[in-house]
Amino acid sequence: MTDGEIRELCETFFDAYQDRRLDILDRVLADDCIIWHNVFGRDTTKADNLAGFADSYRGQRRRTYDDRIVDTFHDGFVIRYQLRGVQSSGHTGSLWICIVGRVRDGRITRIDEYMDSSKFYQWAGIEEGAT
Amino acid sequence: MRKDWQTLELCDRFFDSIEQRDHEALESCYAPEAVIWHSHDCRYQPRAENLAMLKESATTQQKVRYRDRRIRVFEGGFVQQHRIEVTWANGFKGRMDVCFVAYVRNGRISRAYEYFDTGQVDRFLPPNDPAVATPPAS
Repeated sequence: MTDGEIRELCETFFDAYQDRRLDILDRVLADDCIIWHNVFGRDTTKADNLAGFADSYRGQRRRTYDDRIVDTFHDGFVIRYQLRGVQSSGHTGSLWICIVGRVRDGRITRIDEYMDSSKFYQWAGIEEGAT
Repeated sequence: MRKDWQTLELCDRFFDSIEQRDHEALESCYAPEAVIWHSHDCRYQPRAENLAMLKESATTQQKVRYRDRRIRVFEGGFVQQHRIEVTWANGFKGRMDVCFVAYVRNGRISRAYEYFDTGQVDRFLPPNDPAVATPPAS
């Protein structure tokens, strides 16, 4: 894939998350895609993530993936961005996240996500320990 | 134009120098204007402050190792994913997954962004350690 194609794939992926377009996510993620989160420290599958997508938006009115800075390499990309969330309560918060993605044949084959979970409650506007 | 291998070599030299406590080599990896951003405070730390912090860390850490290094070079820099393992002076062994994104100018690191999860700080720092805000890698 060219630099431009990788960049476009990366943007398509994040736009799909932002716009809640599960059909596009399904298209851009390879069927054997592995998604790893530093917060949990374990691999998850494409199916896990698509199935849990609706739950991940629970209590949120809107999410935007802002200030995206993308760098590409021969088989992937690294993106740094600010995840801005507007909760149903009106509370707004931001998380700063970095993702390293691997690509093959026009699809994403692996995602490694790095975020700081200690900022999560502040981001969501809820008391620490609340669910 | 710099080659990928030169950036890879810089990346290895940077992390190796921290492991080996080679402060001179470490300093030589940073450009004079280098700043280091950490995800726990979203602040750009100046070069001198970062180097002083790393030097101080070496006095409380018996051993530091960057395991499972996965490096990719891009135009103007590199990204390294690793797991830092620290053996603290009291024997506690800590670990943390880290992503380090660096931008390179004239063969030196001019800006770096380090992401890690302070929500897992109890796995990294010894119990009751006051240095909770100490970044794990740089």
